[in-house]
Amino acid sequence: MARDSVGDARHYGSMYTMADYKSKVHNIYFNANYAATEKMRLFGTVTYNMAEAALDEVLMPDVSDKLVNPVYDLGVDLTHTNFDFEEMSTYSDFDYKMLSFQLGLSYKITPTLTFTADGKYADLTDDAGYVFGNETGSFYVIRSGFKVDF
Amino acid sequence: MKKMISIFSVGLLILLLPVALVAEENGGTDKYSLWIGSHYTDFTDYTKSVGEYNLGENEWLPELGFNYMSQRDNSLYTLYGHYYDKNNVWGKINTRVGDKFTGVFQYRSLVKQQGQDLLVNAEAREWLDPNPGGKILTHEITDPDADYNTHRQEFTGKMSLLVSHKNNVRLMAAHRTILKSGTEQKIASTHCFSCHLTSKTAKVDNQTHQFETGVDATVKKFDVGYRFAYRIFENNAPDASAYWDPAKHPVHGGAAGEFTSRVVYQDATLPFDTYPKTEKTSHKMKLKGDLGKGYFAGTVNYSKAKNKFTNLATTAWTGAANYTMSINPKTRLIAKIYGARLRSDDPWIDLPTWRDGATDGNFMDFDYRRYSSQDRIEGRISAEVITRLTPQMKLAFLAGYTKIDRYDYPLLGEGTETNKLTAQAKMYYRKGLKYTAFLKYRFESISDPFVSGFGLFEAAGYQNPLLDPLVPTSNWVFYLQREALRYQSVTSQPTQVHKFEWRSTYRPSNKYYVMLGVKGKLDKNNDLDSLDVKHLSIQPHLNFNLMPDPAWVVTAGYSYNFDKSRVPLAVALFDG
Repeated sequence: MARDSVGDARHYGSMYTMADYKSKVHNIYFNANYAATEKMRLFGTVTYNMAEAALDEVLMPDVSDKLVNPVYDLGVDLTHTNFDFEEMSTYSDFDYKMLSFQLGLSYKITPTLTFTADGKYADLTDDAGYVFGNETGSFYVIRSGFKVDF
Repeated sequence: MKKMISIFSVGLLILLLPVALVAEENGGTDKYSLWIGSHYTDFTDYTKSVGEYNLGENEWLPELGFNYMSQRDNSLYTLYGHYYDKNNVWGKINTRVGDKFTGVFQYRSLVKQQGQDLLVNAEAREWLDPNPGGKILTHEITDPDADYNTHRQEFTGKMSLLVSHKNNVRLMAAHRTILKSGTEQKIASTHCFSCHLTSKTAKVDNQTHQFETGVDATVKKFDVGYRFAYRIFENNAPDASAYWDPAKHPVHGGAAGEFTSRVVYQDATLPFDTYPKTEKTSHKMKLKGDLGKGYFAGTVNYSKAKNKFTNLATTAWTGAANYTMSINPKTRLIAKIYGARLRSDDPWIDLPTWRDGATDGNFMDFDYRRYSSQDRIEGRISAEVITRLTPQMKLAFLAGYTKIDRYDYPLLGEGTETNKLTAQAKMYYRKGLKYTAFLKYRFESISDPFVSGFGLFEAAGYQNPLLDPLVPTSNWVFYLQREALRYQSVTSQPTQVHKFEWRSTYRPSNKYYVMLGVKGKLDKNNDLDSLDVKHLSIQPHLNFNLMPDPAWVVTAGYSYNFDKSRVPLAVALFDG
């Protein structure tokens, strides 16, 4: 049956299905501190975070030729409509990985003067682009200075 | 701002005064250190996630840090500070003079980068083939190059002064101020005759001030105290505004009069997503001390929060008491009771009459009073018995009951009552310093948990007598009529909860230890007919600590978090 003419709005209730939304988050870290000599200390950190979340495929019941509520079953043909939601499950896909390294040292030049240097690198890989678009990116920061004890 | 600087200056002076007095004392220790350096940041591709708390620029910047500690026989003064860049600054001052005065003042400043919701999922058309038509949802980003970020500054201070050793009378005062500035994304949503979302850039300029003062004393064998607190939030940024389209038929663009009657506003530029101006005052009394064969601690709290723009307020009375006593040398009892009464103002929602003056008689008044699901009386009671079974093992059993009476949600006098029974068992095991273990299981059974006042599903409206007398013979189903068709209670709240936790630590020597554990939770609701709503979470974790020799310290670990929620998804079925 062709759809009704414009303005003959009809409402046939609702349909539903159940679906699982799953999220999985892995975190790994490693820290090390090493006093190489009385004057020099080394330290490092590695962290890795992997997170993903997704809705299972949404499989709605077939209502193309029947109404949802059998009490008001008028045998209406809805084949002209598209009530599939194949892409609904992708709306909230979330999939990213974050790797971070940090290395540093401190060296005591004199009892009151210490040289320090450290650096950090972080890399994020976004495989889903949920909400904000693809968030893949990286950054590093390097830092050095002198500490004076009075 | 000048007023705030004055308040902070006075606070700092009060903290620095004891330092001057301390300096007069002879001896003691003074230590200073200063770190001077610089850092370089470099970003590649999308920077706002990986560099969320950085300025996001490729640049060299100077960096500075300092520490100061002064210690005398009876006093301690410390000062720490760190400057990373103009928006990332931290400083803290601590002062203690014997048991007479303690003070702490802290400043924290940071920047947070925020992404732009691209709204790409907000794009739909009812019919695509062969001729696109029907209802439509679109979106518009008015500022695709916007760079959203907010600068947050927080000032906190707390002082305590012993004014009399007799009865240990101590005064306290504290404050907290949060300032936020920058820009943020705001999204306006227009009506269904022309559904579209419009993204705009809005300024952020708001502040929260919180003050607290009180007195503590010992009266006979009880410690008593009183606190008064005041908090205000206000926004100084201009309201964001958006244009709402003229009302018209979604497909052919006509019937303006008919569609105008269905909306409260149209063809107008109006503010949206505005901030409230809120104010909260609270009073708290506390009492604790030995009572009978045990120890008693209790509090009574009254608070009132008000939106100064809408003149709507909520009030809360809460009270809690704990009593701990030994039943025998190996067993003790902890009894707890809690009560709360929350009330919110019930505003009258005044709306224009729908299809006012319609000649077919189909017009309707939608005015109503909105009752809050927050209105309630809540009571909780529990008792826990903890007993040492052997020198290595301790067991704890808890039983509890909670009752929540929501008076007027969804309708006046038609509130619901939720009852919850709790049972819990815990075991602690220790074998010397080498091995410890903890095991816990908790079960909750809930009757009539909170459910939404609206049903999730809709019965078919086409030629449904439920919709009479409005348009009794028409094929039309108005949106407002769909409320009459809704059924099926829905909630995310469970009727049964199972919680499990286990962790163990193995320490064969002082050089290393291993900790292993897992937490789990399963909850489900059996009262939702065919809806099989349930949630599962499992969180195992493993940690190592290794110190093979005095020069090395190594720590490592792994954690995993798995969550699964089974949820219903429902859509309405239209044809036209």
